[in-house]
Amino acid sequence: MTEVIFTLGAQDDLAGVTTYCDYPDAARKLPKVGDFSNPSLERIVGLKPDLVIVNLPEQNRIKTELEQYKIQVFVTEPESLADIYRDITNLGGRIGRQRAADSLVAYMRKRIRPTGRKPKSVYIELSPRPLITIGRNNFLNEMVGMAGGKNIFDDLVRPYPAVNQEEVIKRDPEIIIILHPEGIKDRIGWRKIEAIRNDRVYTDLNQDQLLRPGPRLVYGFQALEKLFE
Amino acid sequence: MSKTTLVVALLAVAVAAAIFIGPAALSADVLQIRLNRVILGIFAGGILGFCGAILQGLFNNPLVEPYTLGSASGAALGAALGIVTIGFLNPLFAFAGSLGVGLLVFVIARSHAGALQDRLILAGVIMSFLCSSLVMIIMVMSGRELYEILYLLMGYLGVIMNPGQRVIAIAILVLSLAIVIYLYRHHRELDILSQGAETASGLGVDTHRLSRNLFFATALLTGFVVSLVGAIGFVGLVIPHIAKRLFGPKHLRNLPASFILGAAFLLLADTLSRTITVYELPVGVVTSLIGVPFFIYLYSKR
Repeated sequence: MTEVIFTLGAQDDLAGVTTYCDYPDAARKLPKVGDFSNPSLERIVGLKPDLVIVNLPEQNRIKTELEQYKIQVFVTEPESLADIYRDITNLGGRIGRQRAADSLVAYMRKRIRPTGRKPKSVYIELSPRPLITIGRNNFLNEMVGMAGGKNIFDDLVRPYPAVNQEEVIKRDPEIIIILHPEGIKDRIGWRKIEAIRNDRVYTDLNQDQLLRPGPRLVYGFQALEKLFE
Repeated sequence: MSKTTLVVALLAVAVAAAIFIGPAALSADVLQIRLNRVILGIFAGGILGFCGAILQGLFNNPLVEPYTLGSASGAALGAALGIVTIGFLNPLFAFAGSLGVGLLVFVIARSHAGALQDRLILAGVIMSFLCSSLVMIIMVMSGRELYEILYLLMGYLGVIMNPGQRVIAIAILVLSLAIVIYLYRHHRELDILSQGAETASGLGVDTHRLSRNLFFATALLTGFVVSLVGAIGFVGLVIPHIAKRLFGPKHLRNLPASFILGAAFLLLADTLSRTITVYELPVGVVTSLIGVPFFIYLYSKR
C-alpha cells in the first residue's frame, strides 16, 4: 500500500511505514514502525496518525489493538485483483485522492486483461523448503490465468499452500517459475517434468512485481504475458 | 508368531507402504524420491527411538528423550540461524548448535554437586527453554524464511535434494550408524545403571564416564537427525516405552526394538501425512496425532 500511496502522490502524508516497504527508494527513509507481520503499536501511536492502513490477514492483531485506541483504520485484504482495485479506489477516497486512485485503477484494469490464448500449465514456486506455491485465492493466480497460463495448483483454496513434490511431478507443468534464488534443475526425481525437459524454467522474474498488490503488478503481468507467448 | 518377527514385519509393511502409496504414479524418478524419504524415515525414526531408549535407561527416567536434554533445541536454533543468515549449509549449523548446546549443558551440569544425571536433565531443560526463545526471536525477525523455520521445528521428510545434498546426507547416515553401533555396545552397562546409579557404581560401572559418553553420543545423533529432517517430536519419548512393554527391560533387546519400531512408526506416519492431503503436512504433526491415541490404548489394555 505504501507503493499505492506514492503513486497517488500522497507520499508527503505518510508518517511511517514497515521495514518491508522498500519501494520506491524514498519509502526507505520514512520512520519504521516494525516489520510487516509485527508492527509495534507503541511506535504507530507515537506517530499520531490520522489513519492507519492495515493489511489482512497478517496484521489482524495490530488492527484490533488500534481499534481499542480509537485510531482510524483502513483495512485492505488483497486476495483477488478485484479486492486490490476496490482497496485502491476506497483508499483514494479516504485520503482525498479519488481522481488519482480512479485513474490508477483504470490504468491497471486496462493493462491486466485476459489475452485469450490457449493456456499453458505452470507451476510457481515461492520457497523450496517446504515447497510453497500459490493457490486459487491469490491475485497472482488470476494474473497467471489472464496472461495465458494455468496454475497447476489452482484447485487448492489456500492462497499460499505448501505442497508435496510428488504432486508437482504428477501434475507435470509445461512451465516452471521460480521466485527464490535456489536452482531446481538437478533435483532428484524432477528431470522428467515437461518444463525441465524443455528447459522452460524461469528464474529471473521480479517477485515484487508479482506478489505485491500494487501498481507494479502491471510490469509483472507484462513479464508473464511474454513468458506464455 | 514371535514378537521379533512381528516387529520386523511391521517395518517391512511400513517400507512397502511408503514406496507404493503416494500421489504420483510409480516411475523410476518417483521411486528415487520415495526411497530418499524411506531412508530418511528409517534413519530419523530409528535414531530417535533408539536415543530415547538409551537416555531413558541412562537417566532411569521415563520422561527423558533427546529433546529434554537441549541438543535438539540447540540443533533447531543452529539450523534456524543458518536459514536466516546464509541459507545453505544448514546441516552444519544444526549440528554445531546441538553440539554447542550439549557442551554447555554438560559444563553447567558438572559445575554443581549432586548426581550428574539429575543435573544434566535440569540443565538440558533450562537450555531448551533458552534455545526455544532464541528461535522465536529469529522467527519474529525473519521474513519469508518463517515457513522454513516452522517446518524445521515440526519436522518433515519431504526434503528435496539434489545430488550434492544427497552425498552429504549419505555421509551423515554412515556416521550415525557408527555411533549407533558404539552406543549399542553399552547395553549391559545400561542394564546395570537402570537399577540405580549407586548400585551401578558398586558393581564397578564408571557411571560418570558412561553418562558423559552416552550423553554426547546421543546429542550428536540428535543433531544429525534435526539437520536432515527437523525436530520430529513424540517418537523419542514414546517408542522406547512400547519397546520395553514388548521386549522387557533388557537393553540387548529393547534397543534394537526401539530402533525398528521408531523407524516403522515414522514411515507409517509419513505415508499418511503425504496421502491424506495434497498439502505438505509436517510429519511431526502426524506422529503425535496418531501416536497419542495408540499409546493410550496400549496403556489402558494392561
